[in-house]
Amino acid sequence: MLKRIESLFAESRDLTMHQLQNDEMSIEIAYIESLCDVSKVSDFILVPFTKQQQPFDEIVKVNPVYKPLDDPAKWTDTLLLGFVLIQVKGSIYKLDAARVIRNENPQTMVETVIMGPQIALSEDVIDSINIIRSRYPSPELATEERTVGTTSKTRVLLLYDKRSVDSNVLSMVRKRLERIMIPMITATGQLSRALGDRYTLFPTMIVTERPDRVCNSLQEGKIVLLLQGSMFAIIMPVTFYDFLSAVDDQFDSYWMTRTLLVLRYIAVLLTITLPALYVAIVSYNPELFRVQLTYSIAGSRAGVPYPSFIEVIIMLLMIEALVEASVRLPKYIGSTATTVGGLILGQAAQQAGLVSSIMIIVTSVVAISNFVIPINNMSMAIRFMKYPLIIMAIFFGIAGVTIGLFIYFVYLADLRSFGKPYFRIFSKTPSQSGDIGQVGQG
Amino acid sequence: MNRYFYYCVTIVSMLNLMMFVPYLLIQDRYTGAISSMLLAALIGTTMAFLFTFVMKAFPGKGVPEIFAMYFPKWVTAPLMFFLGCMYFISASIVLNGFAVLINRFLNPDTSSIVVLSLLSLACVYGATRSTLTNIFIVEMGLILNVPLILMILFKSYRNSNLDWDAMLTIAQYWRNPPKLNSYAAAVYLFTGYSGYAIFNRLNPPNFRLRYRWLIPLVCCFIMVTSFFVPIGFHGTEAVASYLYVWSVTADSMTMEYGFLERVVFIFLLLYLNLSLVYTANVWHIAMEFFKSCLPKAKPQIDPERTPLSNWVIACILGLFTVVTSYLLDEKQDLRLATNWLILRVCVEVISVLFLFVLSIGAGGKKQST
Amino acid sequence: MKYNRILLLTVMLLSLAGLTGGCGFKDIDKRFFVVAIGIDPPAEGAKGYKVTLRLAVPSPKVEPGAAKSRVETIQATTIAEGVRLLKSHVDKELDFGHCKLLLFGEELVKKDFRAPMQWFARRRDIQSVAYVAIGKPDANSILNVEPSSERLPGNAIFLTFGHGGTESSYTLYTYLFDLLRRAGERGLDPILPIMRVENNGYVVTRLGLLDKSKLVTVLNPQETEMFNQIRYEFKKSTVAASFGGQNMVMSVDGISSKTKIVRTNEGYVLRLRLKIKGIFEEAPIGVYDQDWKKLEQTFNAQVEQEAERLLKKVQQAGVDPFGFGLKFRATHAGSEKTWKAWESIYPRLKFDVKANVIIEGSGIIR
Repeated sequence: MLKRIESLFAESRDLTMHQLQNDEMSIEIAYIESLCDVSKVSDFILVPFTKQQQPFDEIVKVNPVYKPLDDPAKWTDTLLLGFVLIQVKGSIYKLDAARVIRNENPQTMVETVIMGPQIALSEDVIDSINIIRSRYPSPELATEERTVGTTSKTRVLLLYDKRSVDSNVLSMVRKRLERIMIPMITATGQLSRALGDRYTLFPTMIVTERPDRVCNSLQEGKIVLLLQGSMFAIIMPVTFYDFLSAVDDQFDSYWMTRTLLVLRYIAVLLTITLPALYVAIVSYNPELFRVQLTYSIAGSRAGVPYPSFIEVIIMLLMIEALVEASVRLPKYIGSTATTVGGLILGQAAQQAGLVSSIMIIVTSVVAISNFVIPINNMSMAIRFMKYPLIIMAIFFGIAGVTIGLFIYFVYLADLRSFGKPYFRIFSKTPSQSGDIGQVGQG
Repeated sequence: MNRYFYYCVTIVSMLNLMMFVPYLLIQDRYTGAISSMLLAALIGTTMAFLFTFVMKAFPGKGVPEIFAMYFPKWVTAPLMFFLGCMYFISASIVLNGFAVLINRFLNPDTSSIVVLSLLSLACVYGATRSTLTNIFIVEMGLILNVPLILMILFKSYRNSNLDWDAMLTIAQYWRNPPKLNSYAAAVYLFTGYSGYAIFNRLNPPNFRLRYRWLIPLVCCFIMVTSFFVPIGFHGTEAVASYLYVWSVTADSMTMEYGFLERVVFIFLLLYLNLSLVYTANVWHIAMEFFKSCLPKAKPQIDPERTPLSNWVIACILGLFTVVTSYLLDEKQDLRLATNWLILRVCVEVISVLFLFVLSIGAGGKKQST
Repeated sequence: MKYNRILLLTVMLLSLAGLTGGCGFKDIDKRFFVVAIGIDPPAEGAKGYKVTLRLAVPSPKVEPGAAKSRVETIQATTIAEGVRLLKSHVDKELDFGHCKLLLFGEELVKKDFRAPMQWFARRRDIQSVAYVAIGKPDANSILNVEPSSERLPGNAIFLTFGHGGTESSYTLYTYLFDLLRRAGERGLDPILPIMRVENNGYVVTRLGLLDKSKLVTVLNPQETEMFNQIRYEFKKSTVAASFGGQNMVMSVDGISSKTKIVRTNEGYVLRLRLKIKGIFEEAPIGVYDQDWKKLEQTFNAQVEQEAERLLKKVQQAGVDPFGFGLKFRATHAGSEKTWKAWESIYPRLKFDVKANVIIEGSGIIR
């Protein structure tokens, strides 16, 4: 039996198989360690088997917790559901020893949804695998274990679906994992940096805590990295689109989620360009607006003594400090900071003639749009993108902003996430009609 | 991947709407522009079809590789250098024209040399990227910009100030025989296929180009629009007095209920994007041609590291553009563009026919083996 | 390697910053927005032009009557010089980007308006979609008016013209590019609305017809409305007729005007077919029960008469604001001869106007 099971499974370290022997007979047991409660296994199998108060084959026949399982085709499924398979004298029994993790697991905090799984991955990799395996019961799911960090020797688990994974990407990930030479790795972000995200302006790996996102990615042939001691998983390779799609998009109303997707793209564009556009239009091309808007901006700016870019920088500094403060503060004081900062400071700054009222709107739009992005590490990357554009706007006006945006687009198009194009639409092509650029790579 | 081919076709014809092509055509509106356009539609489409045949005969191979298959290095190197120069000049004319346009309409106080340097820097960066990246840039650039441009073009046809009588009046002059100048300008709109001289390297072996009828359709629509709409807006006489025909035409439209009232700014920004995309792309093609002249040249479509030669060649191209524009004034620019267009017509016909002959030979060889 | 890259980036950025020594950074509050330009002939004896600019003074409050503006006038030999001189009179940079009204004084237009028009056309910052009009008696006095209802400086001007605010059948508007087109076109002549001041507000009811260089004749409000109906098929207008001493007015619902130039035995004839559909707006009680066919015929006759009178007036003035010449060129073979032929045809052109007024209803009472 054991050999057959071994051949059924992809290489998985948590698959445990033993051959036991006492005076009377020998039995074979197999189970997936991460899914099972080891004490149950010992109580029901190891103890009665070694104590030999009763012949084990009789126990198995009498006790209803052991159920006969004849069909070998069902072996993998039963194993993956947390059962132990026992072979006693040629017949096979199953024993339910699943260890189910419930509320002690943390709730999702970073990437929340309204209707959807609320449980996050665990800080313990074995628990995380349990959560993932129970959502992805497929024999194709392979797990490899490695350690990273020369001092910390942190366990890293590499998960992928053997059937759909891209072998080029897989070997690339393995190679890069081997090349990591950092003493300590304690957070997933560190790992993703070490894997190649260090100087890129946009992240090329998703860091997520959601098991459903992990499972969806596995199914799409992506590779997932789990780090012992961190409740976040890394998913790769990814495209820009993946960062802007939330898990809700797959189960909420179709038309609304498509609209929301468009909204997110608009929000990204707004949060990057709006401060730069403000500087460019106010200081270079006021004829861009309608007359009425121009006059009201000119009127509200009349009392402001500084040039527009100082005004923008003051407000952006304030809002960045505010966001930063609300992260650092304990949860219960956080809301106070936003109220004080957002409402009172903004109002006061405008009345004191430090900034124009339009600028307040611009700043709030920038801040709010930034939070629309579902994945946090992309949100952080986007937060930075507006500053180079502001510099372009100061020197070259609206043409500078456009050129800056063009450079961003070129950069995005040039980015590769583990050899895969990062920024293109319709990236899924049917395999029979060759994709562009497949000549050299294939 | 059919769509990438049509991106290349569309971007060239779209872009030239803003550049010298409508200006040159309109100068000849009474003296043969219409017949030149008809002739251009015919010959331009034929050239494009012939070229697609060549592409099919040599899948995954750019023009430099095709030449290298038949001729020794000392023959191909000067030829490739010459072709590279042709590509390079086309993009530089566009970039130079746009720098002047920005100087006139967006940043009147910044000198056009400064704007041009900035544009060149951005394009040099784009050009040094890999061939695969460049085709993605074209895709993104078109998908982001073209819908709005098309909207503005269609809106222009529905504008109440468009004088159909003026357009019909000019159309009455179709009997005049074609002129070389306006033929060269009109046929340029059809040359989008030429980007595949390099981008053909990206095509998988089982590539089949479908919907070829789109080429004349798209190009003719843009050609007719770029010529007739300005006439409709500015009449048969006043239209010839504008240097930047389409900028002024866009300025003649308003969006009563749009966020921005004046169309010209949206139009200029969209076209700024397009011309950046186009220049980065064509410079990349020119760079690949130059690179094929180097000893030990080996085409790579998506190298992990950008080779140093990319940077060196692209920087030279950028510098050359800036220096040239410093030396030439607006009138000389126009003369250069006109002469270049005429030279280009000859080169196009010769090179496409030559490649076609080669590809027939290749087809025969395949059958015999 | 990494350091090299960062170094390269810094050098590039620094060189960029160096390049941009004199860029046009100027904040919105350091600019004076020119709302309207008026060009008048100079005072007696002097040469050049009298240039009047109306500048907007933005205020943070937006309420009726809060709009403030400043009017500056100067006399100079050229407009460009006048504008440069005016810059020294104000404390902020002049910005023509939002200039929406270009006014010619009546006296100027009667002589020659081409030179100032060329100045407008050549300036890059003056919109092609700025409105052009004739100021009566002169441009200066019109720009000095500050309508009391204005919330923003110059807003009354934007709303008077265009379709944003009021849509009157007497108010035609001409964009700058339209004026340039008409001034250059063979077979189409310029038109300009005439602006007057009344009760601290603007009135635009008349249309001035110009040839290629000066004002030729002026249409009265009725003729202006007729012109608007024939040339632009303007819907929000009325047709009136008197029927046995009773005045009847119809508001127009749909209008179509078709012109065709045909050759007959008696020379060229212009056929104008006007089809007007409408609903009674002013009519005696009981119009519902009358024979509408008869009413329609009366309307037809009076509209035809009015239209023909207008066409004759225009023809006698020797201008072609309708664009009949262009129509002729558009329908005849393209050559110089066609235009020569038209020049001799137009003065002798005969008109054949047929109106077809259709009464669709009597409003909401009988």
